[in-house]
Amino acid sequence: MATKPKIAICWLGGCGGCDEAVVDLNEAVLQVADAVEFVLWPVAMDFKYHHVEGMKDKEIALSIINGHVRNCDHEEVARLLRQKSQLILAFGACACFGGTPGLANFTTKEDIFNWVYRDAPTVVNPKGNYPQPKCKVDGKELTLPEFYGQVYALSQIIDVDYYLPGCPPPPDLIASAVNAVLAGKLPPRGSTLAPHKALCDTCERNKTKPPRIALKDIKRIHEVEANPDTCFLAQGILCLGPATRSGCGDVCMKINIPCRGCFGPVEGVKDAGSKFISALASMLDVEDERQVRELVDKLDDLAGYLYRFSAPVSTLVRKRV
Amino acid sequence: MSNFEPKLVCFSCKFGWGYLGDEAELTAQIKNWIPIICSGKVDAAHIVDAFKGGADGVLILGCPEGDCHYQDGNFEARKRVYLLRRVLSSYGIEPERVRIVLSTDPEGKQIPNYVREMSEALRRLGPVKRIRLPSRETAGATAKK
Ligand code: SF4
Ligand code: SF4
Repeated sequence: MATKPKIAICWLGGCGGCDEAVVDLNEAVLQVADAVEFVLWPVAMDFKYHHVEGMKDKEIALSIINGHVRNCDHEEVARLLRQKSQLILAFGACACFGGTPGLANFTTKEDIFNWVYRDAPTVVNPKGNYPQPKCKVDGKELTLPEFYGQVYALSQIIDVDYYLPGCPPPPDLIASAVNAVLAGKLPPRGSTLAPHKALCDTCERNKTKPPRIALKDIKRIHEVEANPDTCFLAQGILCLGPATRSGCGDVCMKINIPCRGCFGPVEGVKDAGSKFISALASMLDVEDERQVRELVDKLDDLAGYLYRFSAPVSTLVRKRV
Repeated sequence: MSNFEPKLVCFSCKFGWGYLGDEAELTAQIKNWIPIICSGKVDAAHIVDAFKGGADGVLILGCPEGDCHYQDGNFEARKRVYLLRRVLSSYGIEPERVRIVLSTDPEGKQIPNYVREMSEALRRLGPVKRIRLPSRETAGATAKK
């Protein structure tokens, strides 16, 4: 019997949703499990990192990695898997772009620590202790992974062969990605295993989008009862569909939620947020600067809105202090 | 920061600015001058790229309001700048580093003045704070801080 290809699935700074998405393949995951040999899957199986350390370089056919990189533990695991794997698939928005945790790039490590260990109303920390990478307790040294100054996408730490975006990626694209690897039918390295077009191009609501959108007001989804069939932008609700890659299966549209951008920029675009700024500006139907201000100043955290999943890979990467 | 020389990128619309002037002479006078056709051509991504490339400020000179050769490219640019300034401040880049002036000067004599004036303001502001961009080898090391 030919040996089965070895596969690792691993989370770095992930929420578990991406692992869950793999489990959600249901029967298909059992077929995959038949065709491959899992060598690591911390969420679901009891392999240890030292098992991987003991493997030969490139012994793993494919490592599917989800989650962002924010501490030295994440980095170490990412580097280990790179060394032992022929292919690395960045799985999910966090691994591809930094994901929602990447919003932390709009604040600093110091501010995060001060809030979490000192200022948040629920904190009781009379001694003012902050976590340290090393500390001595009863004469023994204890260590914690070092928390980095910013969030990184996986490709900023190791070479990534393929990308599968989404928060989490949808089952059809997961299945076709895994099958493509097993069949050896992969596009050029560096490709994103998802369609190239923008979400608007596949969205059912697109036919209700007027040729020129003229917004007198911008509303947030919780402030209105959105019409379930009409283009969100036409209703004055921000939707990132024009600047976001399609392939998600329009799941948010189907539950009447506008696109938040988890599939990242469309093919060939690096910085989705600045693209959307240009598009949004032209939709604002205002007469003068005062009206622009009135409209735009209502939007809390515009940068967070535009880069909800992609700040670490955006052109400007993170806040300067 | 007394000897800090700010890097300013100046986009100006050819329909309103300097079209009667001597382009070679103006080019010699104004560093990083990019005459364009319509200020509406300046995408938010171009401005962001300028900052990534090391600019300390971006100045856009467009035609007077209501006078755009292409209907309202200048006003589009103004709206864009307003939105972008908000985003830049989240990245720790002061909003006043992007300025847009809608006016006209066919001879272009005013362009160096506008550039000088904004450069002065940038000099007072100091350079854009740099971040060390993630580098594979040193990701952890640069991030430790
Ligand atoms: S991409 Fe979404 S589902 Fe996957 S780990 Fe990140 S937050 Fe969780
Ligand atoms: S803007 Fe949003 S709702 Fe409108 S067509 Fe695009 S994806 Fe669909």
